[in-house]
Amino acid sequence: MRNIFFQGISIVFIFLLTLFLMSRIDWMKIFKVKEASDKTEEKLGDLFWEYFKRSDQEVTDNIIYYSVDSILVKICEANNIDRSLIKLHVLRSSEINAFAMPDNHMVVYTGLIDNCDTPEELAGVIGHELAHINERHVMKKLVKEIGLSVLISISTGNAGGEIVREIARTMSSSAYDRTLEKEADLMSIKYLNKAKINPEGLANFLYKISDADVPSFLTWLSTHPDSKERAAYIIDQLHDSDVKYKPALTSETWEKIQAKLDTWNEYDEY
Amino acid sequence: MIHFKEFLYKPSENECEYASSSYLMSLVAVIAGLPIPIFNLIATVVFYLGNRKGTYFTRWHCTQALISQFSLFFLNSFAFWWTIYIILDKKTIDNYYFAYIFTILIVNFTEVVATIITSIQTRKGIHVEWWFYGAITNKICKP
Repeated sequence: MRNIFFQGISIVFIFLLTLFLMSRIDWMKIFKVKEASDKTEEKLGDLFWEYFKRSDQEVTDNIIYYSVDSILVKICEANNIDRSLIKLHVLRSSEINAFAMPDNHMVVYTGLIDNCDTPEELAGVIGHELAHINERHVMKKLVKEIGLSVLISISTGNAGGEIVREIARTMSSSAYDRTLEKEADLMSIKYLNKAKINPEGLANFLYKISDADVPSFLTWLSTHPDSKERAAYIIDQLHDSDVKYKPALTSETWEKIQAKLDTWNEYDEY
Repeated sequence: MIHFKEFLYKPSENECEYASSSYLMSLVAVIAGLPIPIFNLIATVVFYLGNRKGTYFTRWHCTQALISQFSLFFLNSFAFWWTIYIILDKKTIDNYYFAYIFTILIVNFTEVVATIITSIQTRKGIHVEWWFYGAITNKICKP
Protein backbone atom coordinates (compact mmCIF):
# COMPACT_ATOMS: atom_id res chain seq x y z
CA MET A 1 0.00 0.00 0.00
CA ARG A 2 2.89 2.36 0.85
CA ASN A 3 4.31 1.61 -2.55
CA ILE A 4 1.07 2.70 -4.30
CA PHE A 5 0.95 5.84 -2.19
CA PHE A 6 4.56 6.70 -3.07
CA GLN A 7 3.95 6.08 -6.78
CA GLY A 8 0.76 8.19 -6.70
CA ILE A 9 2.52 11.07 -4.99
CA SER A 10 5.35 10.83 -7.55
CA ILE A 11 2.90 11.09 -10.46
CA VAL A 12 1.12 14.08 -8.89
CA PHE A 13 4.52 15.71 -8.21
CA ILE A 14 5.70 15.20 -11.81
CA PHE A 15 2.40 16.60 -13.09
CA LEU A 16 2.57 19.69 -10.87
CA LEU A 17 6.24 20.24 -11.71
CA THR A 18 5.45 20.10 -15.45
CA LEU A 19 2.55 22.50 -14.91
CA PHE A 20 4.78 24.86 -12.94
CA LEU A 21 7.51 24.81 -15.62
CA MET A 22 4.91 25.38 -18.34
CA SER A 23 3.50 28.36 -16.47
CA ARG A 24 6.98 29.96 -16.47
CA ILE A 25 6.73 30.33 -20.26
CA ASP A 26 5.04 33.52 -21.45
CA TRP A 27 2.49 31.87 -23.75
CA MET A 28 0.42 35.06 -24.07
CA LYS A 29 3.42 36.74 -25.66
CA ILE A 30 4.29 33.75 -27.85
CA PHE A 31 0.75 33.52 -29.26
CA LYS A 32 0.26 37.33 -29.28
CA VAL A 33 -3.13 36.81 -27.60
CA LYS A 34 -3.57 40.31 -26.22
CA GLU A 35 -2.62 41.97 -29.50
CA ALA A 36 -5.06 39.74 -31.42
CA SER A 37 -8.03 40.31 -29.09
CA ASP A 38 -7.33 44.05 -28.80
CA LYS A 39 -7.16 44.30 -32.56
CA THR A 40 -10.47 42.46 -33.03
CA GLU A 41 -12.16 44.69 -30.47
CA GLU A 42 -10.64 47.82 -31.98
CA LYS A 43 -11.85 46.92 -35.47
CA LEU A 44 -15.34 46.07 -34.20
CA GLY A 45 -15.49 49.35 -32.27
CA ASP A 46 -14.42 51.34 -35.34
CA LEU A 47 -16.90 49.55 -37.62
CA PHE A 48 -19.85 50.10 -35.29
CA TRP A 49 -18.89 53.69 -34.56
CA GLU A 50 -18.74 54.38 -38.32
CA TYR A 51 -22.32 53.15 -38.56
CA PHE A 52 -23.62 55.41 -35.75
CA LYS A 53 -21.58 58.41 -36.92
CA ARG A 54 -23.25 58.18 -40.30
CA SER A 55 -26.79 58.06 -38.90
CA ASP A 56 -26.57 60.98 -36.40
CA GLN A 57 -24.59 64.18 -36.07
CA GLU A 58 -21.73 64.02 -33.56
CA VAL A 59 -21.53 66.79 -30.96
CA THR A 60 -17.87 67.60 -30.31
CA ASP A 61 -17.24 71.20 -29.71
CA ASN A 62 -19.70 72.74 -27.34
CA ILE A 63 -20.76 72.88 -23.73
CA ILE A 64 -22.78 69.67 -24.01
CA TYR A 65 -19.83 67.48 -24.97
CA TYR A 66 -17.45 69.10 -22.47
CA SER A 67 -19.96 68.79 -19.63
CA VAL A 68 -20.57 65.10 -20.29
CA ASP A 69 -16.81 64.70 -20.56
CA SER A 70 -16.22 66.50 -17.25
CA ILE A 71 -18.62 64.09 -15.47
CA LEU A 72 -16.83 61.16 -17.06
CA VAL A 73 -13.43 62.57 -16.03
CA LYS A 74 -14.63 62.99 -12.42
CA ILE A 75 -15.86 59.40 -12.25
CA CYS A 76 -12.74 58.00 -13.95
CA GLU A 77 -10.29 59.92 -11.78
CA ALA A 78 -12.01 58.91 -8.55
CA ASN A 79 -11.98 55.26 -9.60
CA ASN A 80 -8.48 55.01 -11.12
CA ILE A 81 -9.86 54.43 -14.61
CA ASP A 82 -7.79 55.83 -17.46
CA ARG A 83 -10.13 58.40 -19.06
CA SER A 84 -8.00 58.52 -22.22
CA LEU A 85 -9.00 54.91 -22.95
CA ILE A 86 -12.71 55.81 -23.11
CA LYS A 87 -13.89 57.09 -26.49
CA LEU A 88 -16.81 59.31 -25.59
CA HIS A 89 -19.28 60.34 -28.29
CA VAL A 90 -22.31 62.59 -27.90
CA LEU A 91 -24.82 62.23 -30.75
CA ARG A 92 -27.52 64.74 -31.57
CA SER A 93 -30.72 62.75 -31.56
CA SER A 94 -34.09 62.87 -29.79
CA GLU A 95 -33.69 59.19 -28.89
CA ILE A 96 -33.33 58.64 -25.14
CA ASN A 97 -30.40 56.30 -25.28
CA ALA A 98 -26.82 55.69 -24.16
CA PHE A 99 -24.76 52.59 -24.77
CA ALA A 100 -21.28 51.11 -24.72
CA MET A 101 -19.53 49.55 -27.71
CA PRO A 102 -16.40 47.42 -28.17
CA ASP A 103 -13.01 49.09 -27.77
CA ASN A 104 -14.28 51.40 -24.98
CA HIS A 105 -16.64 53.51 -27.10
CA MET A 106 -19.39 55.21 -25.10
CA VAL A 107 -22.28 56.85 -26.94
CA VAL A 108 -24.69 59.28 -25.25
CA TYR A 109 -27.64 60.77 -27.14
CA THR A 110 -28.69 64.37 -26.53
CA GLY A 111 -32.27 63.08 -26.10
CA LEU A 112 -31.15 61.32 -22.92
CA ILE A 113 -29.37 64.42 -21.60
CA ASP A 114 -32.51 66.46 -22.32
CA ASN A 115 -34.59 64.02 -20.28
CA CYS A 116 -32.35 64.22 -17.22
CA ASP A 117 -33.62 66.66 -14.60
CA THR A 118 -30.29 66.90 -12.80
CA PRO A 119 -26.64 66.31 -13.76
CA GLU A 120 -26.61 63.49 -11.17
CA GLU A 121 -29.16 61.56 -13.26
CA LEU A 122 -26.86 61.91 -16.27
CA ALA A 123 -23.87 60.90 -14.12
CA GLY A 124 -25.79 57.78 -13.04
CA VAL A 125 -26.30 56.71 -16.66
CA ILE A 126 -22.66 57.52 -17.53
CA GLY A 127 -21.51 55.47 -14.51
CA HIS A 128 -23.71 52.57 -15.64
CA GLU A 129 -22.30 52.58 -19.18
CA LEU A 130 -18.76 53.00 -17.85
CA ALA A 131 -19.29 49.90 -15.73
CA HIS A 132 -20.36 47.95 -18.85
CA ILE A 133 -17.08 49.03 -20.48
CA ASN A 134 -14.84 48.50 -17.48
CA GLU A 135 -16.28 45.08 -16.64
CA ARG A 136 -15.96 43.95 -20.28
CA HIS A 137 -19.71 43.36 -20.56
CA VAL A 138 -19.79 44.60 -24.16
CA MET A 139 -17.66 41.80 -25.62
CA LYS A 140 -19.30 39.24 -23.32
CA LYS A 141 -22.72 40.23 -24.65
CA LEU A 142 -21.60 40.22 -28.28
CA VAL A 143 -19.85 36.85 -27.98
CA LYS A 144 -22.93 35.38 -26.28
CA GLU A 145 -25.49 36.79 -28.72
CA ILE A 146 -23.55 36.77 -31.97
CA GLY A 147 -20.72 34.29 -31.50
CA LEU A 148 -16.96 34.69 -31.58
CA SER A 149 -16.58 33.37 -35.13
CA VAL A 150 -19.01 35.96 -36.57
CA LEU A 151 -17.28 38.75 -34.63
CA ILE A 152 -13.87 37.71 -35.95
CA SER A 153 -15.19 37.47 -39.52
CA ILE A 154 -16.66 40.99 -39.16
CA SER A 155 -13.41 42.38 -37.81
CA THR A 156 -11.44 40.83 -40.67
CA GLY A 157 -13.84 42.34 -43.20
CA ASN A 158 -15.43 39.05 -44.23
CA ALA A 159 -18.97 40.04 -43.30
CA GLY A 160 -21.34 42.23 -45.28
CA GLY A 161 -22.45 45.73 -44.34
CA GLU A 162 -25.97 44.53 -43.52
CA ILE A 163 -24.61 42.21 -40.80
CA VAL A 164 -22.60 45.08 -39.28
CA ARG A 165 -25.72 47.29 -39.31
CA GLU A 166 -27.85 44.56 -37.75
CA ILE A 167 -25.36 43.93 -34.95
CA ALA A 168 -24.90 47.67 -34.34
CA ARG A 169 -28.67 48.00 -33.99
CA THR A 170 -28.77 45.01 -31.60
CA MET A 171 -25.97 46.52 -29.54
CA SER A 172 -27.71 49.87 -29.10
CA SER A 173 -31.22 48.56 -28.61
CA SER A 174 -31.07 45.33 -26.62
CA ALA A 175 -30.33 44.78 -22.97
CA TYR A 176 -27.54 42.86 -21.30
CA ASP A 177 -28.74 39.99 -19.17
CA ARG A 178 -30.09 40.74 -15.69
CA THR A 179 -26.87 39.80 -13.89
CA LEU A 180 -24.76 42.13 -16.03
CA GLU A 181 -27.30 44.97 -15.73
CA LYS A 182 -27.39 44.63 -11.96
CA GLU A 183 -23.60 44.45 -11.82
CA ALA A 184 -23.39 47.66 -13.90
CA ASP A 185 -25.91 49.40 -11.61
CA LEU A 186 -24.00 48.42 -8.48
CA MET A 187 -20.66 49.38 -10.03
CA SER A 188 -22.17 52.72 -11.06
CA ILE A 189 -23.17 53.37 -7.42
CA LYS A 190 -19.63 52.51 -6.33
CA TYR A 191 -18.08 54.77 -8.97
CA LEU A 192 -20.41 57.67 -8.14
CA ASN A 193 -19.85 57.36 -4.39
CA LYS A 194 -16.10 57.49 -4.90
CA ALA A 195 -16.52 60.52 -7.18
CA LYS A 196 -18.76 62.10 -4.48
CA ILE A 197 -21.69 62.30 -6.92
CA ASN A 198 -25.09 61.35 -5.50
CA PRO A 199 -26.07 57.95 -6.99
CA GLU A 200 -29.72 58.63 -6.19
CA GLY A 201 -29.74 60.32 -9.60
CA LEU A 202 -29.61 56.93 -11.32
CA ALA A 203 -32.58 55.66 -9.26
CA ASN A 204 -34.52 58.88 -9.94
CA PHE A 205 -33.88 58.57 -13.66
CA LEU A 206 -35.06 54.95 -13.67
CA TYR A 207 -38.21 55.80 -11.66
CA LYS A 208 -38.99 58.74 -13.88
CA ILE A 209 -38.70 56.91 -17.17
CA SER A 210 -40.54 53.85 -15.89
CA ASP A 211 -43.51 56.05 -14.85
CA ALA A 212 -43.58 58.00 -18.09
CA ASP A 213 -45.66 57.10 -21.10
CA VAL A 214 -43.15 55.19 -23.09
CA PRO A 215 -42.62 56.85 -26.44
CA SER A 216 -41.07 54.80 -29.21
CA PHE A 217 -37.76 56.67 -28.95
CA LEU A 218 -37.27 55.89 -25.26
CA THR A 219 -34.74 53.22 -26.06
CA TRP A 220 -32.76 53.24 -22.80
CA LEU A 221 -35.89 52.21 -20.89
CA SER A 222 -37.01 49.55 -23.35
CA THR A 223 -33.52 48.06 -23.31
CA HIS A 224 -33.34 48.15 -19.53
CA PRO A 225 -36.45 46.36 -18.25
CA ASP A 226 -37.61 46.23 -14.62
CA SER A 227 -36.61 49.87 -14.09
CA LYS A 228 -38.63 50.19 -10.88
CA GLU A 229 -37.07 47.06 -9.40
CA ARG A 230 -33.62 48.37 -10.31
CA ALA A 231 -34.36 51.80 -8.84
CA ALA A 232 -35.49 50.06 -5.63
CA TYR A 233 -32.26 48.10 -5.14
CA ILE A 234 -30.22 51.19 -5.97
CA ILE A 235 -32.07 53.08 -3.19
CA ASP A 236 -31.44 50.11 -0.86
CA GLN A 237 -27.72 50.42 -1.51
CA LEU A 238 -27.78 54.10 -0.61
CA HIS A 239 -29.09 53.70 2.93
CA ASP A 240 -25.70 52.95 4.43
CA SER A 241 -23.88 55.68 2.53
CA ASP A 242 -22.54 58.64 4.53
CA VAL A 243 -20.65 60.31 1.67
CA LYS A 244 -20.76 64.13 1.45
CA TYR A 245 -21.89 64.62 -2.14
CA LYS A 246 -20.91 67.44 -4.47
CA PRO A 247 -22.84 68.55 -7.57
CA ALA A 248 -21.86 66.64 -10.72
CA LEU A 249 -22.02 69.94 -12.63
CA THR A 250 -22.62 73.52 -11.50
CA SER A 251 -26.22 74.70 -11.83
CA GLU A 252 -24.99 77.37 -14.22
CA THR A 253 -23.46 74.79 -16.59
CA TRP A 254 -26.56 72.59 -16.35
CA GLU A 255 -28.78 75.53 -17.26
CA LYS A 256 -26.57 76.33 -20.25
CA ILE A 257 -26.85 72.72 -21.44
CA GLN A 258 -30.64 72.79 -21.09
CA ALA A 259 -30.80 76.11 -22.96
CA LYS A 260 -28.67 74.74 -25.77
CA LEU A 261 -30.80 71.62 -26.04
CA ASP A 262 -34.00 73.71 -26.03
CA THR A 263 -32.62 75.77 -28.91
CA TRP A 264 -31.86 72.59 -30.83
CA ASN A 265 -35.31 71.16 -30.07
CA GLU A 266 -36.99 74.35 -31.33
CA TYR A 267 -34.81 74.27 -34.44
CA ASP A 268 -35.60 70.58 -35.05
CA GLU A 269 -39.35 71.21 -34.59
CA TYR A 270 -39.15 74.18 -36.94
CA MET B 1 7.29 4.01 -16.02
CA ILE B 2 6.36 0.85 -17.93
CA HIS B 3 7.48 -2.53 -16.61
CA PHE B 4 7.50 -5.68 -18.70
CA LYS B 5 6.80 -8.54 -16.33
CA GLU B 6 6.10 -12.24 -16.30
CA PHE B 7 2.42 -13.00 -15.79
CA LEU B 8 1.17 -15.81 -13.54
CA TYR B 9 0.49 -17.99 -16.56
CA LYS B 10 0.97 -17.87 -20.31
CA PRO B 11 -2.17 -16.21 -21.75
CA SER B 12 -3.92 -17.75 -24.75
CA GLU B 13 -4.16 -16.05 -28.15
CA ASN B 14 -7.76 -14.99 -27.41
CA GLU B 15 -6.87 -13.42 -24.07
CA CYS B 16 -4.01 -11.47 -25.64
CA GLU B 17 -6.36 -10.11 -28.27
CA TYR B 18 -8.95 -8.93 -25.70
CA ALA B 19 -6.29 -7.40 -23.43
CA SER B 20 -4.70 -5.57 -26.35
CA SER B 21 -8.10 -4.30 -27.51
CA SER B 22 -8.86 -2.79 -24.12
CA TYR B 23 -6.02 -0.30 -24.68
CA LEU B 24 -7.00 0.27 -28.27
CA MET B 25 -10.51 1.28 -27.25
CA SER B 26 -9.40 4.62 -25.88
CA LEU B 27 -7.24 5.27 -28.91
CA VAL B 28 -10.05 4.37 -31.30
CA ALA B 29 -12.31 6.90 -29.53
CA VAL B 30 -9.75 9.66 -30.06
CA ILE B 31 -9.07 8.72 -33.68
CA ALA B 32 -12.81 8.59 -34.40
CA GLY B 33 -12.88 12.29 -33.65
CA LEU B 34 -14.38 12.40 -30.20
CA PRO B 35 -12.50 15.15 -28.45
CA ILE B 36 -14.98 15.27 -25.60
CA PRO B 37 -13.16 13.37 -22.82
CA ILE B 38 -16.20 11.47 -21.55
CA PHE B 39 -16.27 9.37 -24.74
CA ASN B 40 -12.83 7.93 -24.04
CA LEU B 41 -13.97 6.92 -20.60
CA ILE B 42 -17.29 5.55 -21.84
CA ALA B 43 -15.51 3.46 -24.51
CA THR B 44 -13.16 1.97 -21.91
CA VAL B 45 -15.95 1.40 -19.35
CA VAL B 46 -18.08 -0.39 -21.96
CA PHE B 47 -15.16 -2.64 -22.86
CA TYR B 48 -14.35 -3.22 -19.19
CA LEU B 49 -17.95 -4.22 -18.41
CA GLY B 50 -17.96 -6.54 -21.40
CA ASN B 51 -14.83 -8.32 -20.18
CA ARG B 52 -15.11 -8.16 -16.41
CA LYS B 53 -15.99 -11.84 -16.32
CA GLY B 54 -13.20 -12.74 -18.73
CA THR B 55 -9.97 -14.52 -17.85
CA TYR B 56 -7.52 -13.05 -15.35
CA PHE B 57 -5.12 -11.67 -18.01
CA THR B 58 -7.96 -9.93 -19.91
CA ARG B 59 -9.57 -8.57 -16.72
CA TRP B 60 -6.22 -7.30 -15.44
CA HIS B 61 -5.47 -5.28 -18.57
CA CYS B 62 -9.04 -4.00 -18.96
CA THR B 63 -8.80 -2.72 -15.37
CA GLN B 64 -5.45 -1.03 -15.93
CA ALA B 65 -6.78 0.63 -19.12
CA LEU B 66 -9.90 1.80 -17.25
CA ILE B 67 -8.05 3.27 -14.26
CA SER B 68 -5.57 5.14 -16.43
CA GLN B 69 -8.42 6.56 -18.52
CA PHE B 70 -10.25 7.58 -15.39
CA SER B 71 -7.55 9.96 -14.15
CA LEU B 72 -7.04 11.29 -17.66
CA PHE B 73 -10.78 11.91 -17.87
CA PHE B 74 -10.68 14.39 -14.97
CA LEU B 75 -7.65 16.23 -16.32
CA ASN B 76 -9.10 16.45 -19.85
CA SER B 77 -12.57 17.42 -18.62
CA PHE B 78 -11.10 20.31 -16.68
CA ALA B 79 -9.29 21.48 -19.84
CA PHE B 80 -12.45 20.99 -21.92
CA TRP B 81 -14.72 23.06 -19.66
CA TRP B 82 -12.05 25.73 -19.18
CA THR B 83 -11.94 26.07 -22.99
CA ILE B 84 -15.74 26.23 -23.24
CA TYR B 85 -15.84 28.99 -20.59
CA ILE B 86 -13.24 30.94 -22.57
CA ILE B 87 -15.19 30.50 -25.82
CA LEU B 88 -18.34 31.76 -24.07
CA ASP B 89 -16.26 34.62 -22.65
CA LYS B 90 -17.10 33.69 -19.07
CA LYS B 91 -13.38 33.43 -18.35
CA THR B 92 -10.53 35.31 -19.92
CA ILE B 93 -7.66 33.49 -21.55
CA ASP B 94 -4.43 33.68 -19.53
CA ASN B 95 -0.98 32.15 -19.20
CA TYR B 96 -2.21 29.45 -16.77
CA TYR B 97 -4.68 28.22 -19.38
CA PHE B 98 -1.93 27.68 -21.94
CA ALA B 99 0.34 26.12 -19.30
CA TYR B 100 -2.43 23.67 -18.34
CA ILE B 101 -3.30 22.84 -21.96
CA PHE B 102 0.33 22.10 -22.86
CA THR B 103 0.81 20.02 -19.70
CA ILE B 104 -2.33 18.08 -20.60
CA LEU B 105 -1.03 17.58 -24.14
CA ILE B 106 2.21 16.11 -22.73
CA VAL B 107 0.22 13.84 -20.38
CA ASN B 108 -2.06 12.71 -23.22
CA PHE B 109 0.87 12.13 -25.56
CA THR B 110 2.64 10.06 -22.90
CA GLU B 111 -0.56 8.09 -22.34
CA VAL B 112 -1.04 7.48 -26.08
CA VAL B 113 2.58 6.27 -26.49
CA ALA B 114 2.28 4.03 -23.40
CA THR B 115 -1.08 2.73 -24.65
CA ILE B 116 0.31 1.84 -28.09
CA ILE B 117 3.37 0.11 -26.60
CA THR B 118 1.21 -1.80 -24.09
CA SER B 119 -1.31 -2.76 -26.72
CA ILE B 120 1.43 -4.19 -28.96
CA GLN B 121 3.13 -6.04 -26.11
CA THR B 122 -0.05 -7.55 -24.62
CA ARG B 123 -1.01 -8.74 -28.10
CA LYS B 124 2.25 -10.74 -28.03
CA GLY B 125 1.27 -12.10 -24.63
CA ILE B 126 3.77 -9.95 -22.71
CA HIS B 127 2.46 -8.61 -19.42
CA VAL B 128 2.94 -4.80 -19.03
CA GLU B 129 2.50 -3.00 -15.72
CA TRP B 130 2.33 0.78 -15.61
CA TRP B 131 3.80 2.85 -12.81
CA PHE B 132 1.10 3.45 -10.14
CA TYR B 133 -1.80 2.13 -12.27
CA GLY B 134 -0.27 -1.34 -12.38
CA ALA B 135 0.08 -1.38 -8.60
CA ILE B 136 -3.55 -0.31 -8.11
CA THR B 137 -4.70 -2.91 -10.64
CA ASN B 138 -2.82 -5.59 -8.67
CA LYS B 139 -4.80 -4.57 -5.59
CA ILE B 140 -8.17 -4.56 -7.38
CA CYS B 141 -7.80 -7.49 -9.76
CA LYS B 142 -7.30 -10.88 -8.16
CA PRO B 143 -6.87 -14.22 -10.00
